[in-house]
Amino acid sequence: MTAIDHLPAEPVTRAPGLLRRLPTSGVAMCGLALILVWVLAAILAPVLPLDPPNKSFYAALAHSAPSAAHWLGVDKSGRDILARIVFGARQVLTVAPTAAIAAYLIGCPLGLLAGYYGGWVDAAISRLCDVILSFPIIILYVILISTIGPSVLNIVLAVVIAASPGIARIVRGLTLEQRHLDYVAAAQLRRESAVFIMLVELLPNCRGPLITDFCLRIGYTIITIGIMGFLGLGLPPPDPDWGTMVKEGTVMISVHPYVSLFPAIAIVTLVLGFNLLADGLRELALKE
Amino acid sequence: MRDRLPVIVLIARKLLSVILTLLLASFLVFAVSEFSPGNVARKTLGPYAPQESVDLLYQKLGLKDPLVERYGRWLGILLGLRADPLQDPALKLNFVDPRGARYFGNFGYSSLYKAPVNDVIWSRLGATAMLAGIAFAIIVPLSLTLGILAGMREGGLLDRTISVFGIVATSVPEFASGVFLVALFVVLLGWLPGTSPLTTGGGWPVWSQLVLPVSVLVLYDSGYLVRMVRGAMVDVMNRPFIRTAMLKGLSFPQVVLRHGLRNAMIAPFTVILLQINFLISGVVVTELVFAYPGFGRMILDASLFGDISLIEAATLIALCVAVTTQLLGDAGYALLNPQIRLR
Amino acid sequence: MANDDHIRTLTADLEAKRVSRREFVRFAALVGMAAPAAYALAGTITGEPFAPPAAAEALPKGGTWRIGTRIKDIKSPHTFSWGEQSNVARQVVEYLTMTGDDNVTRPYLAESWDVSPDLKTWTFHIRKGVKWTKGDELTADHVIWNLKRCLDPAVGSSMIGLVKAYLLNEVTGPDGKPTTELWAPNAIEKLDDHTVRLNCKLPQVAVPEHLFHYPMSILHPDDKGVFGIGAQGTGPFELTEFDLGKRAVLKRRTGYWGGDAAIDGMEQIDIGDDPSASIAALASKQIDGLASAYPSQYDALKALTHLQYYDVKTAETGVMRMKTDTAPFNDARVRKAMRLAVDREALLQVALRGLGSVGADSHCSPVLPDYGTVAIPTRDVAAAKKLLAEAGHPDGIEADLVVPNDIDWFQPMAEASQQMWAEAGIKINLKPIPGASYWDVWTKVPFGITIWYHRPLCTMLLGLAYRTGVPWNESGWSNKEFDALLTQAEGTLDLAKRKEILAKLETIMEEDGPLVQPVFRNVFSFQDKRVKGYTAHPSNYFFGWMIGLDKA
Repeated sequence: MTAIDHLPAEPVTRAPGLLRRLPTSGVAMCGLALILVWVLAAILAPVLPLDPPNKSFYAALAHSAPSAAHWLGVDKSGRDILARIVFGARQVLTVAPTAAIAAYLIGCPLGLLAGYYGGWVDAAISRLCDVILSFPIIILYVILISTIGPSVLNIVLAVVIAASPGIARIVRGLTLEQRHLDYVAAAQLRRESAVFIMLVELLPNCRGPLITDFCLRIGYTIITIGIMGFLGLGLPPPDPDWGTMVKEGTVMISVHPYVSLFPAIAIVTLVLGFNLLADGLRELALKE
Repeated sequence: MRDRLPVIVLIARKLLSVILTLLLASFLVFAVSEFSPGNVARKTLGPYAPQESVDLLYQKLGLKDPLVERYGRWLGILLGLRADPLQDPALKLNFVDPRGARYFGNFGYSSLYKAPVNDVIWSRLGATAMLAGIAFAIIVPLSLTLGILAGMREGGLLDRTISVFGIVATSVPEFASGVFLVALFVVLLGWLPGTSPLTTGGGWPVWSQLVLPVSVLVLYDSGYLVRMVRGAMVDVMNRPFIRTAMLKGLSFPQVVLRHGLRNAMIAPFTVILLQINFLISGVVVTELVFAYPGFGRMILDASLFGDISLIEAATLIALCVAVTTQLLGDAGYALLNPQIRLR
Repeated sequence: MANDDHIRTLTADLEAKRVSRREFVRFAALVGMAAPAAYALAGTITGEPFAPPAAAEALPKGGTWRIGTRIKDIKSPHTFSWGEQSNVARQVVEYLTMTGDDNVTRPYLAESWDVSPDLKTWTFHIRKGVKWTKGDELTADHVIWNLKRCLDPAVGSSMIGLVKAYLLNEVTGPDGKPTTELWAPNAIEKLDDHTVRLNCKLPQVAVPEHLFHYPMSILHPDDKGVFGIGAQGTGPFELTEFDLGKRAVLKRRTGYWGGDAAIDGMEQIDIGDDPSASIAALASKQIDGLASAYPSQYDALKALTHLQYYDVKTAETGVMRMKTDTAPFNDARVRKAMRLAVDREALLQVALRGLGSVGADSHCSPVLPDYGTVAIPTRDVAAAKKLLAEAGHPDGIEADLVVPNDIDWFQPMAEASQQMWAEAGIKINLKPIPGASYWDVWTKVPFGITIWYHRPLCTMLLGLAYRTGVPWNESGWSNKEFDALLTQAEGTLDLAKRKEILAKLETIMEEDGPLVQPVFRNVFSFQDKRVKGYTAHPSNYFFGWMIGLDKA
């Protein structure tokens, strides 16, 4: 869980070179490599020599174990697991970052408004955020998705509702720290508009912790989508969804363990990639 | 910065804000459930009940009324100001709550279990509290120990090993670790039972049924906590007063225990308490994997069924737990760090 | 006494091979012939011995049978909606009749029955010497109290739908709403302290089977229709512990009319909806067996060597039904194209792992005694495309299929069908929803999959779900010719003639009907090998008195 939002804000990094210094961090590079493998797989999926992910090979049902024809075996409907994992990467790498970005698009402005104006604006926004953050997060997801139904749009919506208050809280904290600094006062003296100050002056200066949080949040969103799939509230069939694949395999784990093993490994490696990248970025920021 | 207020006023203010949070949250849940297909009357009577009976109950419960009115009614029943209409003997539903139809804390009737919510919810909460309590009792000392060991010598072999454990553990979601632990210890080795009904009829003692669910929770949550404690410890060990203490001639373990520990505890303290909230979340998945008769699985069942009475009750209880731990976290933080005043 | 006219007709049919021996026994038992006699007669007529299911072996005594199931609310047996509920109650309270796993109906609390030649007057002889838990004897008054209570619209029992056609009239209630009442004051009649007669409005051969429908349990009137710990019963067990969603504990009682049960008791344990949790529970021997297993569990359970597999062919199915008043399904050619585009054998393999039989979109299973034999349609994508083009969809159609997610084999069936339809230019989007929510929309969605559990007769299923305007006609389909033939079939007492009409009905369903119904599922279950006497029942019922346990 990305509880970074519950931490005191870390020292602000003003250095523009955070991303440029990335190659110096072994941890971050490991993470980036893992992510890139999956991104490449996702992009190249249509041109790779893979079976169609939704096609059932009825003949393969009798021998579903990994074989020369199906490297990672086939699932209970005779579909190629390798193809489903690779095409599943497309799903998850589209939905998770989209959801995280959408959550930022809502959370950032809320946090900026609360931090910059204070007063009743802050009180109203913070109260609303507190209410949502008080929910144990999975319960919130389960209630939302089981009510409005699982679809890409609804999962993005649920992530936005569940995650944007946390983002707002971080941004609010960062804004509070910065709004009394000289450069903000200078902008105010220049009679810049409030919107300009928030977006052009304040937000870029909050970048460091936010980039780290963003990576963690994508990782956690991937886990969340996985959990929803595992609870039977995953992305709609028949397109492959990793969490749903793990779930479908659990029934036969004692006889065909690879059916859930491989998609579970896929989730773990991708999440690990984002967590490592986030960790590396944080270390870099701290070494400032 | 506010004027100093008497503690009583501060507490009253905090309580008021808690109540406001609970009201707002319960209303939100009520509003969200509006989008759920189907209605309470059909769910109460079952799929095969004749449409006429459903229509009758629909009317009786006033399900056509506006949302706010129905929310008000629900609140009235909860506070004991109104009688639960489902218990009306004229409906012939046979819904009887031994506590009566009108009392404070009446969460109504569960349409899923066809029983008073208060009969359903508390024993399950107890089972979950036991699971989470044991997990918590292991997570906290384990992560503090590992985190401090890792953080006291940044970059050392121990630090690297523990950090890798921490980051991998946080990357393995509960459903994945649960599935693999079952495959290994139940199917392959046969050392542990695969489900945790918490009864001894199956020939497995209760403690053995708790091993796997607790392990799943401990693995995931301690990974995160270890990293937090380590980060705080590293931070503290780089502060000037540690160097001063070393220069004064104290041995390294003494420095760690006397100075490092207390200061490193402050930041993770709130996190540890928030961990309870995460535990509740992890518990849903874990309880599903192990068929554990707890609160989390009940919430999942209730949500899938659209049992609004049970969802509301569960939400309120979960929120109370969350808010209480947050308050404890705030208070503890203030106690550990006198520089922070109670806001 | 069995009615001689019916037995004579049946005998002639069997001799001419118009009905099978199985069907013969089934109907002979329904009209009142004792099952062993019916089996023997079938053997005599055909010249080959026809063995009834193995008689109960001597069961080992003692032990507690632990069975994995769902523990739902059990307070009101007459309004039960789920077989699982009745599996708790049926160990304590009993039924007038009992339909076994061979689909033959046998005496239970009614020790025998006879029927008039017109199949309208049914006389049930209540067993003497049956004692309730507190010691008083079961009488005709008790039975009549239960029958009347189930048929009281205010109680809301699903028995009403089952017997409405022949025992009830539809009337307008005092509040202007439609309701029902007994069609005649003497519809349920007491002849003496141990004889009850049902006087029916219309002929009905399945009355004894209906009396085994799971809400029709015989409760003690003193309990006022409420069941729970301490409730009275005539059965071999008493409910001693009940924890909703967790478990139910039943202990043997002494003085049971059928002789004391072999096991000391049984524990029914809630194993949740997660199919892997119940596998784990079986693997670690926390339970001895399952009330019913899912197709997705088959491979894993088969691999557990300490388990025995039990199965039975049934009429249980999932119908992919199209709402016939909604475009594009309002065109019979489109519906036919949907049927032509699917490969039934492949679906049987994918969805049910081959554990079932193929269907012909009529909901009529070959295991049912009145099934009329028709050909199974073969897949013909070209013909499907042609029909779509004729219906004005040369570029194909697009629609949503709502899939309830609590039945594990629906999704693989939907996914595989989706691929097959795509090849015929039919784009179907799958919309999974929680099983509980599906029941709110099951009669409304344009295209959805509905579970239909086993029922003992084709006419019963067709009358419930496909006659114009009946409450469970989820597709809104209406076909006058079908309705007329169905009424004719229900009134046809000659089994061979009935099967001929059924074949016509099934053909209409194939040409015009609202279903794509490719498979029937075998109901199956696994029990520890030390469990003796268990049989898989088509409706997933189980009876503790049949069970014995070898020492572990």
